[in-house]
Amino acid sequence: MSRRVRLLLLAGAGLVIAVVFAAGCAELPPFGSPDHPYGERAVAAALARHTANVVSSVNFDQRAFDTLGEESILFASVLGTVIVLRPARDEDRQEPEPARVLPSTRLFGALLLPVTLLTGGYLVAHGQLSPGGGFQGGVVLATGLHLAYVAADYLALRQVRPLAVLDVADALAAGAFSVLGLVGLVAGAAFLSNTLPLGTFNTLSSGGLVPVINAVVGVEVASGVIVLLAQFLDQAVEVVDR
Amino acid sequence: MGPPPPTVALPGTAQLPLAVALPGTAQLLPLAVAVPLLGAVLLVVAGRWLPRPARDALTMVCAAAELACLALLWARTDDGRAVSWMGGWGPPGGSPAHGSQSVGIVLVADRLGIGMALLVTVLTVAVLAYSWRYFDEPVGEHGGVFPALLLLFAAGMCGFALTGDLFDAFVFFELMGAVAYALTGYRIEDPRPLHGALAFGIVNSLAAYGSLLGIGLLYARTGQLGLAQLGQALDTRPPDLLVVCGFVLVLAGPLVKAAAAPFHFWLPDAHAVAPSPVCMLLSGVMVELGVYGTARIYWVAFAGPGGVPAHAFRDTVLVLGAVTALTGAVMCWQQRHLKRMLAFSTIGHIGLFLVGVALLTPEGLVGTAVYVAGHAGVKAALFGLCGLLLDQYGSVDEHGLHGRARELALPGALFAVGGLALAGLPPFGTGLGKSLAEEAGGRYLPGLLPALFVVVSAVTGGAVLRAWLRVFRGAGPTPGDRPGEPETSGEGEEPEVHSPSRRLPAPLTAVPAALLLGALVIGAAPSVGRQLAQAARLFTDRVGYLAAAYQGPVPPAPQPVPASDWTVSGALLGLLSAALAVALALLAVHFVHRGPGAALNRRLVLPLRRLHSGLVGDYVTWLAVGLAALLVAFVAQR
Repeated sequence: MSRRVRLLLLAGAGLVIAVVFAAGCAELPPFGSPDHPYGERAVAAALARHTANVVSSVNFDQRAFDTLGEESILFASVLGTVIVLRPARDEDRQEPEPARVLPSTRLFGALLLPVTLLTGGYLVAHGQLSPGGGFQGGVVLATGLHLAYVAADYLALRQVRPLAVLDVADALAAGAFSVLGLVGLVAGAAFLSNTLPLGTFNTLSSGGLVPVINAVVGVEVASGVIVLLAQFLDQAVEVVDR
Repeated sequence: MGPPPPTVALPGTAQLPLAVALPGTAQLLPLAVAVPLLGAVLLVVAGRWLPRPARDALTMVCAAAELACLALLWARTDDGRAVSWMGGWGPPGGSPAHGSQSVGIVLVADRLGIGMALLVTVLTVAVLAYSWRYFDEPVGEHGGVFPALLLLFAAGMCGFALTGDLFDAFVFFELMGAVAYALTGYRIEDPRPLHGALAFGIVNSLAAYGSLLGIGLLYARTGQLGLAQLGQALDTRPPDLLVVCGFVLVLAGPLVKAAAAPFHFWLPDAHAVAPSPVCMLLSGVMVELGVYGTARIYWVAFAGPGGVPAHAFRDTVLVLGAVTALTGAVMCWQQRHLKRMLAFSTIGHIGLFLVGVALLTPEGLVGTAVYVAGHAGVKAALFGLCGLLLDQYGSVDEHGLHGRARELALPGALFAVGGLALAGLPPFGTGLGKSLAEEAGGRYLPGLLPALFVVVSAVTGGAVLRAWLRVFRGAGPTPGDRPGEPETSGEGEEPEVHSPSRRLPAPLTAVPAALLLGALVIGAAPSVGRQLAQAARLFTDRVGYLAAAYQGPVPPAPQPVPASDWTVSGALLGLLSAALAVALALLAVHFVHRGPGAALNRRLVLPLRRLHSGLVGDYVTWLAVGLAALLVAFVAQR
């Protein structure tokens, strides 16, 4: 297929899809209407379980099984990246050179690194109460750690990044989610049932199972994303063709 | 509002004396997902220290536990459905009347769903046994990653087969996708697997975006994500453009996974380069799950008065299936790269499965179910034998291997049997499934649909037999190259093992033999067909599915159980396509490229082959064209 034919075909097909999709969207309930069938039910269910952040209640309680699948996707993606980017027969590893960095930049990184990590930890810990949660906080934790690379060099990052530990933590946290589901079964209730004490509304310990799954997801996302990025960074910094 | 305790809506299970020690039926459903997930974690953690034999044993134990879980579920479910609300978020107050008020996710398993999950697990066990002496898997810190990915793949596919929730199905669809891309690109020393995995990943991910858009449209209209709840909500008003658009977009994902034409381009590229054991899973069951998803989503959510009219689905998917089947068959015949040949044969058979589903009758469905089960055994066996050729000769090229595999007597015999079974030789499961689907199709379009089944199975089986004659028998002259034609030879493949020409490991022959035996049993043991026939009736009983999902009393299914036995005409047609396959193979080997066939080949076949360009941009264009065509077809028949 020539470039021209391909573009014409794609444009024609895209136009048809766009027209039908737009016509379909025109039939959507009007913006700002008072009718929110799922929202109303979900808010009521979240409040009944003493969970202030309704999104977290949906993610880690009402539809926690979806989240189990989603964090398994992350786990699988990390494993997939590890296997596809594993050292090939025709590749060698080269020790990275220390980079020259301005002392002020290094100081800035050293000061900000704990602050970013604290912010990430806060986002995870308050997931059941306020916007944020294991996924968001986990990503902040993981990317925050890379300040060490940005403000110093790869050697500094390697010092604050215990990959072997994180690798295992990623797997264990992924497994812990399933185990928490089994707790419900053992207690005689359904899989992933929220059988823990619900606590006082709007306190850190409220929500029963929600903060626990939230924390587990936080650990998994943080360690998973660090391991994931490490595979790509290794390829860019350390791995050379033989 | 207290969530209701999970109940077992099935008769006769409580009396089982074993039920004290074993998990309840409702608990088995989430366990079928959780067991392989936990197994994967165990392997990643323990795989760093365990030696290879212990790792393999641990993987096998996990797969066996999954198999036991699903077998128990199959036994307990009988002619009914197992239902489990995750987190206990069932209908508020446990009242079926409030089913649509639930905020949770429900798993609903009938024997077609459990059967797909069982197929996944049986093939996973076969793949584990096959790869036992096949791969040099990475050692050290990455020791358990390959078997862990296999278990995650199984978890994704089982979750997809058992869920009764549209968004949850999407999540598991993505899980199996993410794993499949990585497994496809497993051999990193060769750039081709990376290219195949990229094409696979890009086309499938774009289709997944389509599915997500569709789910968004339907959710915005109804506020529901469960298949039963969604169907019930749609039925409250006449269908409009939103429903049609949502339906087509949702189907984008499953249809691309199923490799229906023109969404099929990724499949041969991925199958040609993925390790052979992985191909066994991709071709044997993952692709078929796309057909299963299409059927399930239509039957539960869209078969009512507020969905998509039956005639529109029937006619559109029939055409889609027929085009897919013919494309697959023609392209299959053209290949000399054996794994590409088998990949196109899968596309041909997927077309036939789609035709069987499109008939919208229990008869068509039971035919497809038996066909899928038989095909999984046969196709996995053939991929296994291709892996054996790679292991021994470092090539899967029909021309380059001419006569070289004469020394492999038993693998050769198995390859020939596989070719005949693929063509539908009785009493293989492929033959029974073909005969049942043919009969169901003949009732809708007499003559035409049975002819399609005979031709497609004969051509794909014939291509395999042709390869057998050349590679294992050395028959005919060595074919020369065909200059000017776009083709992929199977030469220069990296052997998937480090030292080709070593002694032949036993599993490389034993596993394909066992798989072929399984395909034989599916066709020869009448009880398999009968149980699948009951399952097909249940699958098409939409009212019963909705009642079961809400844990209410399930009315008896209205339709009779479809027939599932061999008929004389079915067996004769099976023999006919097998004979045609043999004749085609003999003709091709002994009379290469003569007569008027060459002109036809240049006019019709060559342009079709040029379309399979290997360019991801082309594939994406075809994805858009296919979606646009489906939208137009369904809007026009609204």
